[in-house]
Formats: sequence, structure tokens, C-alpha cells
Amino acid sequence: MLLTRSGALLLITALCIACLGILSIYSSTLQKEGDFWELTYKRQIFWVLLGIIFFMLFSNFNYRRFWDATYFLYAATLILLLLVVALGAVRLGAQRWLKVAWFNIQPSEAAKLAIVVFLARYYSTKPAEALSLSVARMGIVRSILIPLAFVIIPVGMIVDQPDLGSGLIIFFIFLIMLYLSGVRLSYITGFLLMCLAMLPLVWHSLRGYQKDRLLVFLNPNIDPLGAGYTIIQSKIAIGSGGIFGKGWLSGTQSQLRFLPESHTDFIFATFAEEWGLLGAGVLLFLYYLLIKQGLNIAARTSDGFGRLLALGISCMFGIQIFTNVAMNLGLAPVVGVPLYLMSYGGSSVTITFISLGILANIDKKRSVF
Amino acid sequence: MRQKITLIAIACIFVLLFSGVVNLVCIQGKRLRYLSEKNCVRLLPQMGSRGRILDRNGLVIAGNRLSYDVMVLPQEQQETEELLEKVSGVLGEGVGGLRKAFREQFVSSSIPVAVASNIDVKKAIALEELKDELSGVMIQPHPLRDYPYGRLACHVLGYLNEIDHWRLTKLADYGYKTKDLVGFGGIEEKYDYYLRQEEGGVSFEVDHRGRFVRVLGFRPPRDGKDIQLTLDVRVQEIAEEMLGGRIGSVILMDPYDGQIIAMVNSPGFDPEVFVKKGGSAPLRRILNDPDAPLLNRAISGVYPPASVFKVIVAAAGLENKKIGYSTTFPCGGGMQIGNRRFSCWDVHEPQNVFWALVHSCDVFFYRTGLLLGPEAIHDFALKFGLSKSTSIELPYEAAGNVPHPLKRKITQFRKWYDGDTANFSIGQGELLVTPLQIARVMAVFANGGKLVNPYVVSSIAGKQVSRARQKASPVPVQEEYLNHIRQALKAVVSSPAGTGTAVAGVEIPVAGKTGTAQVSRGQSHAWFAGFFPYTKPRFVICVFLENGGSGHFAAALARQIIEKMIAEGLV
Repeated sequence: MLLTRSGALLLITALCIACLGILSIYSSTLQKEGDFWELTYKRQIFWVLLGIIFFMLFSNFNYRRFWDATYFLYAATLILLLLVVALGAVRLGAQRWLKVAWFNIQPSEAAKLAIVVFLARYYSTKPAEALSLSVARMGIVRSILIPLAFVIIPVGMIVDQPDLGSGLIIFFIFLIMLYLSGVRLSYITGFLLMCLAMLPLVWHSLRGYQKDRLLVFLNPNIDPLGAGYTIIQSKIAIGSGGIFGKGWLSGTQSQLRFLPESHTDFIFATFAEEWGLLGAGVLLFLYYLLIKQGLNIAARTSDGFGRLLALGISCMFGIQIFTNVAMNLGLAPVVGVPLYLMSYGGSSVTITFISLGILANIDKKRSVF
Repeated sequence: MRQKITLIAIACIFVLLFSGVVNLVCIQGKRLRYLSEKNCVRLLPQMGSRGRILDRNGLVIAGNRLSYDVMVLPQEQQETEELLEKVSGVLGEGVGGLRKAFREQFVSSSIPVAVASNIDVKKAIALEELKDELSGVMIQPHPLRDYPYGRLACHVLGYLNEIDHWRLTKLADYGYKTKDLVGFGGIEEKYDYYLRQEEGGVSFEVDHRGRFVRVLGFRPPRDGKDIQLTLDVRVQEIAEEMLGGRIGSVILMDPYDGQIIAMVNSPGFDPEVFVKKGGSAPLRRILNDPDAPLLNRAISGVYPPASVFKVIVAAAGLENKKIGYSTTFPCGGGMQIGNRRFSCWDVHEPQNVFWALVHSCDVFFYRTGLLLGPEAIHDFALKFGLSKSTSIELPYEAAGNVPHPLKRKITQFRKWYDGDTANFSIGQGELLVTPLQIARVMAVFANGGKLVNPYVVSSIAGKQVSRARQKASPVPVQEEYLNHIRQALKAVVSSPAGTGTAVAGVEIPVAGKTGTAQVSRGQSHAWFAGFFPYTKPRFVICVFLENGGSGHFAAALARQIIEKMIAEGLV
């Protein structure tokens, strides 16, 4: 059998969201002229179809092989990130893309998944004779500092790209994995306090525009032309949608080009304007189902690696979706992270489907142990 | 346990997000819907002024003046049409042009559109007075580049133009956007980052008739930083006047620390042409001119230095002990090298290095060059700073070329002959230099053996930047030899048989060397490079005339410049 029941459920939910995404991309690029825009939604359809193939592949690919390939995946990610620095294409003020043939890949998306795999393996390693996982008995060095060293290298490279949003998201994934893998709470608290103490240092190392964006979040009116403008327009778009929305293809904010990045980072606002509170509620509910499904799979799995992997992937979804939607609502700074399955972009769509495929496979293989 | 908490936390997050949407739709919904329906948010960008460029005495070479733009707030089609008609009535321009400008400049319905730029002050006031009638029309003052001295020093300044695709890809990281004005060439390009102003603006709410209701946000614009140059406008003016319409370039430099006092190129261009919008004919004329008026010949043009190069060969010969003060070679009007006869430009008596420099005897230097060998000449040329850029703070500086037998073998697969050495010794053949490099060579003789690093920017935003520059490095030639050549350079001008007699008779003693570079097509290039006053030099001068004939003409031009400078009390 190609798919289990839970796998089919994951795929169907994801495809529902992806369809809504394609509709919104079509709507938001409709008014823009030029071949590039006319083809955008078609390319997204292509990416989703490719995603389905990836989903099928990975849901039938034994996820335990990732255990063996962890360090290889980690090294490959680092190399990709290095390549971005060396020869990435400069776009929208940031060097996040790697040009391969006719498309650009964004390695920071792959890096998130690689880090999840890496941490899942790290925290599920146990000595042969032990019956339970050893994380709870680890000291602070082995439970936090060593994995931190592995996480901080790609995070540093991503923040330097500069892509503050993805860097922060990986860091939050790390925190949640710490929590879920059973590291002692006292260590985690200590670590968080240390991070807080480091904040002023981090602030100094940020680039000017990154500081601006964080400040603009606190008060959008200090930058009415840049990021603040986007927040204001995004709020207007969502708020003016009303309960039932203005209807597909009739959103004035996104159609009339008030809203920048309306097909990528701010697609939630585009969607909410046209489909209203009801549509937004349904969309959020679909996302919730997807994540809930992932957490259920984790709960059903007895293999430590599989459990952590499923948890990590679900949390990665949760954090990223939260960050993006909160940014659309003006509740979080504009940091430039895509909304999984909705935003236009090949890297993010394929990585999402691969992650979902892994989830489906974990559920299939749970009888191994 | 922890998994359960996570599940609950994620559920909470989604509840939070949903309540965020509910908040925007239900609680703030009314106001947001109003803003959306009326398209009530307007953006009005405000420009700071670009940093000024000053001369060494603080005179403004490139400054700013206020220009007035007519901005129209986008409204319903018909209302906009009426507005444009009224505006065209006041401006006395056809409504068609305004309509076209409106269509072209339209970005989004939240941003006012500039339909006419750079209008007369009187018309601006007239429009401003009709404000009640013309709601939705704004007059926006905005600073424009202004050149009080016209085309003076245009090559050093560069010009401003709309950013092109290549520069945009390079500069997007630094916050540059399409349609930004950026510097092209010269200081404007090199120091664009400092000169650049920061855009500010206000966003405000307007009512359904486009009338101002209240300010939503404001960011003050910031002015760019001023840059002070080492140029002296008075000297620059004299040099430009004297060079006139001839193609070529003149450089005046401080021999001790490399400050560029004047850098003139001809033909030049009027940077104002790029500022004024409309009327692309003069622009096209500049871009299509075969004489390349945008080219800064002083640093980007490479030419054979001809006889000026003999000073380096003489220094190399003396330093390498291939010749002494008393070594004499007969001239005889030419000599046989291989199967070709290399002639001198004249027939001279047998003479030593001093008189060979004074008379610019080619045969003497053929023989010295053959004794030295091309490698030694190449090495000395490099020690005098040739074959690499002088690292002056102007973009597109050329490095020139100094030939070497090995280099030729590797790159062109051709053998080096003695004839090539002979040509090399008199500064012909593949040897190519920029006028600035020659000025630098001459400075070595003027200041007693230091290779200075030329520079043109003295301070940015009041901060001295020249101090941080590299110190002049000594050239490894004994001072005694340099002095000997220095005396010969004086005799070039003062001796009746010297090649630089055109400069003789000026009130102050001048030293220098002429050069006549033969070119494959057209007249020779004329060179004169020297320094003055002889005893305590304050200026190095390098005059270069492209296809200007014999070096005599360059020397004559140098004389005119020096005399005028003396007359104005600048020396």
C-alpha cells in the first residue's frame, strides 16, 4: 500500500491549503503586467505537483536512513549555505538564493529540516545497554552546549545572508527540541537566561535594516515608507475583508498593489482580504489539523528518533506559520519568512512536502521497534 | 507530559492568531474598511539634499538648488483629468504632456504623481495660491544638483543619472532602488555612499476629496555628507581656459604629498544636461561624440609617453652603472639595429646623458637602453609607478602597460628583438601610460626621490581623510643621480638648444621634459611634464595633447598656464 490513512490525511490537508494558495497567488499577480507575473501561479502549480511526487517518494523511504545520513545532511547544508555566500544571487536586498540552472533554491529552507533531523538523532542516541533515553542524565555540556555549537554555525550563516527570520526560526526549533527531548528544565531555564544576557551583543551585530525592522514592529509609524507601510497595508487588507471577504479576485488592497510581497510573505493578508474572517478561520484550522496530525504521529511512535523527528517537523511548521501569520497581523516584526504551502516559492513548497512525506513514513514504520 | 503541553501551546497559538484576525475584522474593521474603500492613505516622499562637493578653499563646485515639482494625488479618472487641465492652464503647457507624465510616473494610487518637474518659482507660487480650487495638487520643493561653475572639473565630479540595471544589482544591498539618482564617474560615483541623501516622507490620511485629514507617520529626510576636494577652483579655471577646445588633459599636482590641484580634460561635458529632464538631444550628443567627452583622459586614457620616458631610462642607466656622467655616444642622426635603421629626430653632436636629455637625443637612449636591456628598464619603470594604477580616488583608472620580453612571450607568443628595446627606451612601442602616472614620475624629480600617491579628496563631512592615506615611498635611485637629471630638466627649458624653450623666459625657473609620441594614425601626441618653481617646487604640471603635434605645443600651453598663474598670484 502506498499510503496509510494518516498519510492520506496529511496529503489531502496539505493539498487543500496549497490550492487556496494557488488561488491567492493567481489573484495577487493578476493585475501585474509581464510574462514573469503571468506565469507565477503556473509555476506554483508545477511546484505543488513536484511536491506530491516528493511526498510519495519520502513516505515510502525508510526514515531510519536519515539516522545514518544525519552528518552527511548536515555537511551538505553547510556547503549549500557557503555556496550562497560565495555565489548567491542578490535579490530584494538579501542573498538567500542559489541559482541552479533556471531556478533559484533557498538553502535556508532545507537547513531547517536538516537541523531537525540532526537534533532528533542527537537526542535519541542511547548506549546499547540502556533501556531509556539518556538525555535526562546528560550534563549541561552534552545536553545543550554541544548541540548548540552545531546549530549556531548554520544559524550564523543564515543570519549573515541576511535572513534574520529563518535564523531565529531555527533557533526556536532548537529551544523546543530541547524541551521535547527531555533536557532538564533547570538547564533550559539557565540557557534562556544566558541568551537574554547576550541580547545586547546580538543587537549590535545586526545589520541596520534588521534593527529598523524590529523597531518598526514596535512602532510602524516610524517608517511609513518601508516595513511600516507594509504592516499598515496588511492590516488594512485583513481588516477590510470583513466576515465573508470581498470575494476572490476582488481584494482591493492586494489587487491595486498597495500591499507589497502580496504573493509571498504577505499572502495571508491577500487571502484574508478576499475570503474574510471565515476563510482565514478555515485556513488556520487546516494548518492546525496538519500540525495536530504530526503530533499524533509522534505520540503513536515508539522509536525515539522517529518521535523526536515527528515532533520537530510539527513544531517547525507551528513556529513558521505562527511567525508569518503574526507578521501579517502586525503582531510580529516583518522578518521575511514564507507561509508554508501558501506562499509562492519552490524551495519552501518542496521542503514542506518532503517533511510531510517523512511524517507519513514515520507513522508507517512505527511497528519496527 | 511535555508533548501534551506542546500540543496545548500550539492550540493556544492558533486561537491567538484567530483572535488576531477577529480583532482586525470586527473591532478595528470599521476604520480599516474605511481606509481601504477611500484609499485614504497617501505617501509623500521628501528628499534630503545630496552632499556638496567643495574645492580646497570651500567654494562649492557641485551644490544643490531647490526645484519645484507639481504633484497630483491620484483620484477618480475624471477628477484627475480636470485637475490636469487646470494645472496646464497655469503652467501654460499642453495638457497632453501632463497626461503622458501622469501615466508614466504613476506608481500606486497611494503615492502622488509628479506631472511636471523643475517648474518656475513664479508658477509654483501661482499654483500654491490656487490651492483651494485645486485640491489634490501639491507643490513639492526638492533639491536638485547645481553646478555654480558649469562644466568646471566635470570629469573629476562625474554626473548624476538614474541608476542602471548593472549598478542596481550591485547596490541593492545598500538600499538603492530603481529610479534613484546615483553618481556616474568621478567623485559622484566613488563616494556616492557618502554623498547620498536619505529619503524621508510623510504618510497621511486624506478624505474622499483628497484633502488632508491627519498625519499618520513621518520620517525626516537626511542630507548627504559634503566632500572637500584638493582642487583649487582658480587654478582649475586657468587650466581649462588655456586648454580650450583642444583634446587632451592638464594635471597640476603638489609634488610633495600628491594633492591634485587641477585636473582638466577636454572635451568636457555639461553635467547639468543630466539633471534637466526632457530634451535628450544634448545627452545623445555627449554619448555619441567620437571624442568621448565623458572620458577622464588624465586617468583613464593610455598613451605612449615618448621622450618623457627618457628620464626613467637615464635614471636606470646611472643607477645600474651602465652609463656615467661623462659617457658619450655619437648621434649621427640614427643607428643600425638588426636590419633596421632607427633614426634620431635631429642630428646631434656626440653628447653625455645631461645634454642628451636636454636635446632629447634618441640615439643616446637607444644605446643606453641596449646596454640596460628591456628587463632592467621594465623594472625601473615599475619603480616609478608605471603599469599600475595610482589608486587615486576616482573610478575607472587605467593601469597602462610596461612591456617585458617574458610577458610578450607568454601572452603574444612573440619574440623580443633589440629593435623593441630601442623603441622601449624612447617611450614608444607597447609602453602605455596615463597622464597622471607621468605627473607622478615628474614629482619624483621635483621632491628628491619620493613616489607620491596622488589624491583628490581631502575631507568627508569635515573629517580629514588624507591623513589615513599611504605615505610616499622612496624610489631606489641615488639622490645624486636624480639631482643630475633634475638639473638637465632645468636646462631643457633654459638652454637655447633645449626642447622646452617654449617655457623659457617665464619669471620663475621651470624644469621639465617634452615628448612627441608618434602614433600610427594622425598627428603625434604632445607631452610636457615638469615642475615649478625649480628651487622649491610647489607644482608638478603635466600637459598632454592628443594628436596635438610636437611636444613644443604642449610646452607652449604649459607656459601660458604658468604665466597666468603667476599673474594671478597663485604661485
